[in-house]
Amino acid sequence: MTPTRRYLSPLLLIGLALLSAFVLAAPAFADEGPQQPRLQESECLGCHTQPDLEVELASGEILPLTIDSERLAGSIHERIGISCDSCHPEITGYPHPPLDYTTRRDLSRAFYLTCRTCHASNYVNSLDSIHADIAAAGHSEAPVCTDCHGAHYTQFPDEPRALISETCGQCHTEIYASYKDSVHGSALIDQDNPDVPVCTDCHGVHNIQDPRTALFRIESPELCAGCHADPVLMAKYGFDSNVYSLYSISWHGVDVEVYKANWPTIWHESAVCTDCHGVHDILPASNPDSTVSPQHLLATCQQCHPNAGPNWTGAWTGHNKISLERTPLVYYTNIFYSSFVPFVLVLAAGYVLLRIIRATVERVRRNLP
Amino acid sequence: MSANETPVPANANGRVRTERSFIRFSIGQRWEHGLFLLSFTVLLLTGLPQKFRTAGWSQYILSTPERLETIQTIHHIAAIFLLAEALYHVSRATVRLFQRRLNGEMLPVVQDVRDGIKMLRWLLFIDREKPSFGKFTFEQKFTYWFFIFGTTIMIFSGLLIWFPVLFTRWLPGGIIPAAKLAHSAEAIAAAIFVVMWHSYHVHIERLNLSIFTGRLSEKEMREFHVREYTRLTGEPASPPDGESE
Repeated sequence: MTPTRRYLSPLLLIGLALLSAFVLAAPAFADEGPQQPRLQESECLGCHTQPDLEVELASGEILPLTIDSERLAGSIHERIGISCDSCHPEITGYPHPPLDYTTRRDLSRAFYLTCRTCHASNYVNSLDSIHADIAAAGHSEAPVCTDCHGAHYTQFPDEPRALISETCGQCHTEIYASYKDSVHGSALIDQDNPDVPVCTDCHGVHNIQDPRTALFRIESPELCAGCHADPVLMAKYGFDSNVYSLYSISWHGVDVEVYKANWPTIWHESAVCTDCHGVHDILPASNPDSTVSPQHLLATCQQCHPNAGPNWTGAWTGHNKISLERTPLVYYTNIFYSSFVPFVLVLAAGYVLLRIIRATVERVRRNLP
Repeated sequence: MSANETPVPANANGRVRTERSFIRFSIGQRWEHGLFLLSFTVLLLTGLPQKFRTAGWSQYILSTPERLETIQTIHHIAAIFLLAEALYHVSRATVRLFQRRLNGEMLPVVQDVRDGIKMLRWLLFIDREKPSFGKFTFEQKFTYWFFIFGTTIMIFSGLLIWFPVLFTRWLPGGIIPAAKLAHSAEAIAAAIFVVMWHSYHVHIERLNLSIFTGRLSEKEMREFHVREYTRLTGEPASPPDGESE
């Protein structure tokens, strides 16, 4: 919010200046022609609260026109005084202009554009989303503003927070079903946990990108690291916040780092977090059903290393520092080489230095008279 | 090894000075060294960019995934050559040792420790006399065994990380990350050793090309391999004229 705040004061000044200009110029405008009288909401609701008010579209679809005035009164727009004509400016009286839409979907796709009058930046972002892409490819069922936020009875989309994922789940039913049972989803739905990710935390909100691209894949560990490398947040749950830093120096992690730095759009196979832990169905590693539980770990490895035998899982140093208990072979190798390499360096350098000194002294002595 | 005496031309009349040279390495040993040198260099040059993959200079070399693959293939091919050379060397040495056709002077003995101490005493100006050596100096034997040790580590750890799935059928999984660590660290130790120790001894101390030419001059024999010179010629190897103290 800080960048916006910077622009607030000049904007406020300009706003004040314009306002005073209007107030001063008001008498001059008043005479200019008959002004369109604003349609009062009560006038609209006079008809639109009647039950069974509906119209048949060209396709034969029935478009219900009844508004629940109580629910409407509770919507966020209504609470701040935005009334019918703000979104339906074409309606200025009765009879209304004809509805030139074949299907209800056509109508929705045309009417939602009115949102951008106020929510311009969110609208522009949504044009950059995979939803806009698939709509452009001819799939009119791709969601528009009103599909997620509702049309007349709009509420805050994150009250409660679980509502966000539920909203996505309206279309993404299978993914939502597996998410619901995951460690993240269950904490969200059962405990209203404020820390676990909802769909939009990983996928973005209005400019949702295709998560199946090489770019999304290569950047996905960073996405997990957003929370799992946060020491404060992880300490709250007793988790180790070094998992990401240790991963990024592991065999898989180095590969991913290099691809991310050089070839982010080239598909790569080295394991990222979700390859082993699952995507929407992530379970705690301590859960026996988890893909990384001792019972399932080998099968998880075998997805990429099909011929791996039971010993294979021992090759995984995990998200753990080198330790005697967990990885004794690596531990001893590390001890040996962390002294052997400096030893070789000192030995070779020292010995050669001594030889050079000795040889120089010999030479000087020989040339002395 | 026999002294190889070049016949003196009849009309030389003292103007032509003949220098005796001694055979030091057989043609087979020279080829072995060449193969080892070449595969070692290629392995080092293709290995280092892989070890330091996150470094800028490495990414300059490995600028595309295909290049990375190519460099890994080159590394593997060079590794096969090194492995073949190592197997040939060890099996030939073993066979010849048992056939008593090899005198075993390359094997480490207590005398080497004594030689090392003597050498150190000389280097620290405790002893005045430079210790004398046979066919191989203390340093040359040290170099040989350092490479034997290093190559063994590199071959085993390299094969383990090349075929991890295969080896973990029998070996504990933990050996794979240990092999990766060892391969990476031993390479650095070997590189340091070659650059500092070996290149000092064969280039800076004196240019010793006998591993390529197969021969060592009489002067060098008398200076650096006193005991071997005496053994071969039966003459005392007092240092050549002007070199004595």
